[in-house]
Amino acid sequence: MLGEREMPFSRRRMLQLGSVGFGGLALSALLADEARAETLATKEEGPLAARTPHFAPRAKRVIFLFMKGGPSHVDTFDPKPMLDRDDGKPLPFDKPRVTFAQTGNLMKSPWKFKQRGESGLPVSELFPHVAECADDLCVINSLHGTNPAHGGAALKLHTGSDTFVRPSMGSWVSYGLGTENQNLPSFITICPTLAHGGVNNWSSAFLPAPHQGTPIGNASIPSKQAVVHHIQNGRLSRAEQRLQLDLLAEMNQTRPPSPIEQQLEGRIASFELAFRMQTSMPEIQDLSRESDVVQSLYGLDDPITADFGRQCLMARRFAERGVRFIQVTHSDTKVQWDQHGSLVEGHTKNAKEVDKPIAGLLKDLKARGLLDDTLVLWGGEFGRTPTIQGATKGKEGRDHNPEGFTMWLAGGGVKGGMRYGETDEYGYYAVRDKVHIHDLHATMLHLLGLEHTKLTYRHNGRDFRLTDVHGRVVEDIMV
Amino acid sequence: MTRCSRTRGDSLTLAGFWGMSRGIVVMALLGCLPLAPASGSEKPLSDDDVTFFEQHIRPLLITHCYDCHSEDSGEMAGELLLDRREGWSKGGTGGPAIVPSHPEKSLLMRAVRYTDSELKMPPEDKLSATEIAHLEEWIRRGAKDPRDQPAPVSEEKSIDVEAGRAFWAFRSPEKRRVPAVAREDWPRTPIDHFLLAKMEAEDVVPAAPADRRDLIRRAYFDLVGLPPAPEEVDAFLADSSDEAFDRVIEDLLASPRYGERWGRHWLDVVRYADSNGLDENAGFAHAWRYRDYVIDSFNEDKPFDEFLIEQIAGDLLPYADDETRQRQLIATGFLSLGAKVLAEPDKTKLAMDIVDEQIRTLGRSVIGLTIGCARCHDHKFDPISTRDYYSLAGIFRSTQTMEHDINGVIISRWWEHGLAEGEERELIEELDARIAILHDKLANAEPKEIAALKAEVRRLNKLRDQTPSAMGVREGTIANVRVHRRGSHLTLGDEVPRGFPVVLTRSPVEVQEKSSGRLELARWLTAPDHPLTARVLANRLWRWHFGRGLVKTTDNFGKLGEVPSHPELLDWLAVRLIEEGWSIKQLHREIMRSRVYQMSSHASDETLRRDPDNRLYSRAPVQRLSAEQMRDSLLAVSGLLEPTMGGPACDMPNRDLVFNHTSMDMTDYADRRRSVYLPVIRNHVYDFFQQFDFPDPANVSGDRNTTTVAPQALLLMNSDEVSDSAEAFAERLIEEGPRPDAERVDRAYRIAFGRHATAEEIARSLRFLDRFREAMPQAASAEPRPVPKRAWVALGQVLLVSNEFVYVP
Repeated sequence: MLGEREMPFSRRRMLQLGSVGFGGLALSALLADEARAETLATKEEGPLAARTPHFAPRAKRVIFLFMKGGPSHVDTFDPKPMLDRDDGKPLPFDKPRVTFAQTGNLMKSPWKFKQRGESGLPVSELFPHVAECADDLCVINSLHGTNPAHGGAALKLHTGSDTFVRPSMGSWVSYGLGTENQNLPSFITICPTLAHGGVNNWSSAFLPAPHQGTPIGNASIPSKQAVVHHIQNGRLSRAEQRLQLDLLAEMNQTRPPSPIEQQLEGRIASFELAFRMQTSMPEIQDLSRESDVVQSLYGLDDPITADFGRQCLMARRFAERGVRFIQVTHSDTKVQWDQHGSLVEGHTKNAKEVDKPIAGLLKDLKARGLLDDTLVLWGGEFGRTPTIQGATKGKEGRDHNPEGFTMWLAGGGVKGGMRYGETDEYGYYAVRDKVHIHDLHATMLHLLGLEHTKLTYRHNGRDFRLTDVHGRVVEDIMV
Repeated sequence: MTRCSRTRGDSLTLAGFWGMSRGIVVMALLGCLPLAPASGSEKPLSDDDVTFFEQHIRPLLITHCYDCHSEDSGEMAGELLLDRREGWSKGGTGGPAIVPSHPEKSLLMRAVRYTDSELKMPPEDKLSATEIAHLEEWIRRGAKDPRDQPAPVSEEKSIDVEAGRAFWAFRSPEKRRVPAVAREDWPRTPIDHFLLAKMEAEDVVPAAPADRRDLIRRAYFDLVGLPPAPEEVDAFLADSSDEAFDRVIEDLLASPRYGERWGRHWLDVVRYADSNGLDENAGFAHAWRYRDYVIDSFNEDKPFDEFLIEQIAGDLLPYADDETRQRQLIATGFLSLGAKVLAEPDKTKLAMDIVDEQIRTLGRSVIGLTIGCARCHDHKFDPISTRDYYSLAGIFRSTQTMEHDINGVIISRWWEHGLAEGEERELIEELDARIAILHDKLANAEPKEIAALKAEVRRLNKLRDQTPSAMGVREGTIANVRVHRRGSHLTLGDEVPRGFPVVLTRSPVEVQEKSSGRLELARWLTAPDHPLTARVLANRLWRWHFGRGLVKTTDNFGKLGEVPSHPELLDWLAVRLIEEGWSIKQLHREIMRSRVYQMSSHASDETLRRDPDNRLYSRAPVQRLSAEQMRDSLLAVSGLLEPTMGGPACDMPNRDLVFNHTSMDMTDYADRRRSVYLPVIRNHVYDFFQQFDFPDPANVSGDRNTTTVAPQALLLMNSDEVSDSAEAFAERLIEEGPRPDAERVDRAYRIAFGRHATAEEIARSLRFLDRFREAMPQAASAEPRPVPKRAWVALGQVLLVSNEFVYVP
């Protein structure tokens, strides 16, 4: 372990400097025998101190727009003329050995695609507003994963593993880069779903606890009511709590110095930070401070888009304040994008709810100069099959498909108006320039200035990585 | 990469429909097809053959394959070399890659055509149709290959078992001589000798004895997880006899609260939970029976070897009565409680993943080894081979953990032992029979009948699930397992007989032909000369008393674990444990009667300088309360704690999803019993637990962290749990009757900290109450009012979240 003998003194120094952040003193990091990669951490600074990446970063933060349930790529960003042509015919090659459910013959997309922007990027009519940002989008059509069920696929996407409990990508980013605002969590997840991996999708697992995601509400709560757990006290006033904290500080100062004095002081500092957060969090979440123009840009003035719009606007406000990783989840109390049936009805509704807010976020970030160093990532845990599920007329749907699907990136050092990779002519399998979930993770870390093979954490006698033993950085999409 | 314009057409053509059925593919992968012997060198090569190869095949192989499949690449992926003829004819893990003249039988063609989702080569970029056609043509012509370098002798790296046995942890613990010390009057027990000898060697002076008030607090939190009542502190302070502390130890060991505290330690180790977690968070509504079994076992000081045997093979033990039988069945919950990917569509993979979870858990929980690493390759650091792994896998594959899946089922069901008796048992047997009949019907059902049949199975299962039962295992179909190359059930190797890791085995142990081998495994683990079981347990007991193990990595005694700081002491403890009939309570006595345990946590500057991180145990560690200790103590001092033991954690129906797509939080922690009885929900651990370092209940954990983060402070300041306790604490103070404010403050200190308040503390508290009162809305009258209850609540809360309450000296 790194200089354990010096630790008490450096901790003391840190406390004298008063630099205890949201993470406080993570004693797991300081005292546990799990030494972290020396390339990154100088432990004296506390676990959330902003850290220098491995090389010059293109992006400083991530906003991940998670479309829970699995949007259909062949109906959104991956047009397939052959699918239109062969509608109703059998798929002319094998389906995967393992599928989630049975599907039938090919089914063409009910939506038209248009080439948009100067780049001519094809976007379906489901996303008219996002299409206005086509020249900012870097669409990866060749994503592929391994697990065809929601839980496994969501865990794979968020943690890189659908077999074991592993740290989530947001916590890896926090571990790698710390945060720029010591008064806020480094990793925030707004209205996350509690199903299909639940907390594991934002947990820090064996990474030090300060890197865990801080949830704001959950998917069953309207975003307007979503708050950080325990952020308010319904019984005592702020002034009364101030008195309490003053007494607490006094009580801890007068006892004879404890052998773990530094730990105890760190604890008091954590109370002070919590006290400040009680004011700062509601302020950040108070969207009435935004102009009408901005509010309507995100669709806050329309009941259909208001809920997701609020999430996106909050995300921008957190991004501005230095939060490192912000996840926004589009999930209702059903499995939102999971149209095994009624594809037309479901995808129309879903796209309507998110289209304007997402476009609003992209435009707003751009207008504020934030898009340059903010990586926006859009997608679900998998795509959907080009083959039909369900026989009832008008209620046709598509099954889960991890073999080939689409996610897009914007800002943060990626090329706009480009497509990367391809699925086969029907959109079932990724076939060219394939990007596995591990590759996506490696690429995201790279954009943030982190070398995915070097971002490691020693646990149980092994150096773990977000990308396990895999991962290829997709350099071709970078500016 | 394209700056977006149109999708490229030529490369998109997938090779034509591949006619061979799935079953044959698998057989081919398993090497069951009568493949023609690979040849290609019998006849001399014609010029045409050479030209074709050089023009079309060699460049293709170099460009697309050599990166991973050549000697120069150093990778030799899949053990397949394509840089020489012998490479492909011998083939890799899947057998010969090419059958000359038979492209349709050649694995290589299957791989490049991308028709098999498990085997697609090259992995990133499919070859063009032309390239594929060239390969096909070449193979059809006999795969004439002019390259004739000799094949390398692939030397299989094997594990050196004899060298492995030399490692300290793989040698049986020896009875160590108690070392002599210079300060002969200091040690009270053998443990003191071991530790003092080391301190003397490094010129470190141990700390003075602890303040007796601190000592009794330490003992209470340690053994029962609760603070002593003021009267209990008084009684101990009044008892000046030499046996006073021994009596405290005995009282606490005899208290049922002991099992609630120490059983919880074991529940950490066995990743106990009341829900599945992972992908589908189904409720384990019957898991509590295992939790109660653990608590009872600790309370009755069940010998640890017996305890372990019951958990691994309880269903195979003889029994005298139904009660014993039930307990033994419940104990096997140990093997069933793991997190499973219940919706894994590949049910063969699911079965092997469950076996893997059992092996990992057994390895780390009982013998402190990461055996799971050997699933895909020989362990990189410890002498555990894949053969060792699959010899254990055979034992668990021969054990039934899951119910048999109905065709097309999405969420699989774990098996449970029925515990009903009498009439209820008959009813259940009838239910089981009806379910079995439905399963048979389903196997041959017409498509239109399936939905109705499945619904009926679900209905009957639902009834069945609510009857008394216990998660657990029983003997399944007894069979050895073949090595799974790279951990995949699609690439099988040699069959391995059921057995145990060779490096830990002194003399060969035979697994009976007709049994899974679990009973043999359990007996082998608890044999007195087993190098690890007693050491791992003794080390954990030490860790749970002192906050740090003699081996710091409590769950990893392998090469990448830490070496023991006091190897002789560890061996002494392990041997002692076995000599005392595996009595855990006896080891508590050994430890707690020592002078080392009873030291102060304060030490001289000189000692702090020489032993800054307390590696030598030169003073007692200051330990923060665990999540459970903290919650239980809050409830205890405020008088809210309900002492009822055992029973269900919550009233959710068995197997219902605790969290589903609605994201509605149905969990409820309003129960005011001890924390060990609250539901442990994987993926969504109770916030109070989560914040205070409760371990991930999907993983073995013998060592918890101690973190300090702002969300803990938010919880202590604002949660209902803490506020309710503060309120009840204030009410308790007020209800004890009218007394001057200063006395009431003192009483609060006595209850919370087990000591009187100092004059300064009383003055400060009175000032707080005053200022607090001033902060209240001013009433019409200008008269000073009595301190309102609200102020006492606020003061109580400060005491309950203060460092002194939360840290044990």
